[in-house]
Amino acid sequence: MSNGIRKRKGYQISFIIKRIFLLLMAIFAAVPLIQVFLNSFRTDRECKIMPLGLPQKWVFNNYKDTWLIGGYGQAYFNSFLTAFIVIIAVLVVVGLGAYAISKLNFRLKGFFTAYFFVAISLPGFLYIVPDYFVMNKMGLVDTRWSLIIVYTAMQIPFNMLLLRTFLAGIPRELEEAAKIDGCSELDSLLKITLPIARSMFLTIAILVFVSVWNEFLWSNTFITTESLKLVATRFVKFTGEYGSNMARIYTASVITIAPVIALYLFLSRKFIEGMTSGSVKG
Amino acid sequence: MSSVKKRHVVPYLFIIPAFIIHVSIVTAPAFSTLVMSLFDWNGMGNAKFIGIKNFKEIFQDSIVKLSIMHNIQWLLIFITVPLILGFTVAIIVSQLGRTQMFFRTVYFIPYIISAAVAGKIWTAYMNPYYGLNQVFDKLGWEGLAKVLWLGNPKIALYSVAFVDNWHWWGFILVLFLGALQQVDSTLYEAARVDGASRFQELLHVSIPGIKQTIAFVLIMTIMWSFLTFDYVYIMTNGGPANSTEIMSTYIYKNAFVKYRAGYANALCVIQSGVCVLLYFLQKYISKKGGMEDE
Repeated sequence: MSNGIRKRKGYQISFIIKRIFLLLMAIFAAVPLIQVFLNSFRTDRECKIMPLGLPQKWVFNNYKDTWLIGGYGQAYFNSFLTAFIVIIAVLVVVGLGAYAISKLNFRLKGFFTAYFFVAISLPGFLYIVPDYFVMNKMGLVDTRWSLIIVYTAMQIPFNMLLLRTFLAGIPRELEEAAKIDGCSELDSLLKITLPIARSMFLTIAILVFVSVWNEFLWSNTFITTESLKLVATRFVKFTGEYGSNMARIYTASVITIAPVIALYLFLSRKFIEGMTSGSVKG
Repeated sequence: MSSVKKRHVVPYLFIIPAFIIHVSIVTAPAFSTLVMSLFDWNGMGNAKFIGIKNFKEIFQDSIVKLSIMHNIQWLLIFITVPLILGFTVAIIVSQLGRTQMFFRTVYFIPYIISAAVAGKIWTAYMNPYYGLNQVFDKLGWEGLAKVLWLGNPKIALYSVAFVDNWHWWGFILVLFLGALQQVDSTLYEAARVDGASRFQELLHVSIPGIKQTIAFVLIMTIMWSFLTFDYVYIMTNGGPANSTEIMSTYIYKNAFVKYRAGYANALCVIQSGVCVLLYFLQKYISKKGGMEDE
């Protein structure tokens, strides 16, 4: 046997081993979620006897029951409303701010840029306690506003720098030309920069939506009234109350993650680019 | 004259809203945490200045010691397992052609779902009566079928760390993959011309090419290991018998269950202090090791 063939054989074996390894890791990542989806179509008894496998008899009433008992209509409304307001607020203040620190010249530009760079790494536990007790005094705890304000503030630094990096890549000449034509700074932001940066605004909107939808620590602390709870906290409460009904827990999980998963399947590239862009130095 | 003035004001008008919101909700309260750590305060009534008494108590608090040990264990797990896994898989995936996108998309899925749901799904799978133990039982694996994944103090922390890993490693993988794709391909060709083996290529081209990402991941892992909260709170809330207690869950209990806001603030200061210390230590080491160019 010649050496070349042996080498090729070794190459093929390592190729197959690598493929199997990748597939196993894909199974590890995806199957726990696919199984949750399957279990939401099984009876509670079936889920308990054997948590893995296909439904022997497909049942569909889990969804209706869980949706109604869990008060998911209300929770969905709360989450969507909160996310919507936070997205608008973040886009407005971050849009203006990023435009200033990437396009305009002013004395404290360096200070503001540095501020948001440092601000990114401030951990939530450093300010959650005073925020809670101050808002408690102001009567804001256990209202929608508490979360809307806190989420908006927390989302600012990262998205500010994300947008700043993007805007810095747009040639300044375009805006200068608009200003010669008599546009104000705000006009040139709205009419020239905004249309070009539209896809970046969409990325930011998605990132904000997902983090509001998934957030747990703050909404669990600030909201105690059932009817004001967001989906993630409502879900945790629900699993506590109906912990013995496994089918409902699996179904509630699907209901809770469905919007994010759906969005991800359509826009996975935007998700991945946005969520990992923090590692690129601006 | 007035238009010149306007030009100077406009940038500030643009940046001020974001700045004020962030300072009043994040930075100013963060500073007040530092100050309030010197007070005895229940969060509502009057605060009483007690100097460094809170910190003295922290050094005698056995649960704090336990929590920090758990955070260190957490750090040791997360600085090895997801990094090695993410790196290995990223290397293999980066050699693929069209299927690269498919694998990347699948591996990233656990990262986008809420910690609340991921934690509870795995709590259900780890349920001793209705979870995977049923599967092990049917397979005849008696030993595994009897394990109380979240109920046994000896393994509960590892069980939670396993779940957090499940959620986390895909993110690390995507970071590494992105960095590997940006390594100059002519370097690989040059190495091949020089007769380098696959392993030598890895050692002398791939790893140096992504050293900044490696440094970033290390810093992030270190800081985040001392701040982690969601998975532990959701799956075990520090139990059983404090066996999964970490700094964050202990702070949370002090602030919002026992209403010891002053003491909780002092704990926050210690927690952030440890983070900052480790951050600089890591920076120092990676600079010495040539991981960063700065």
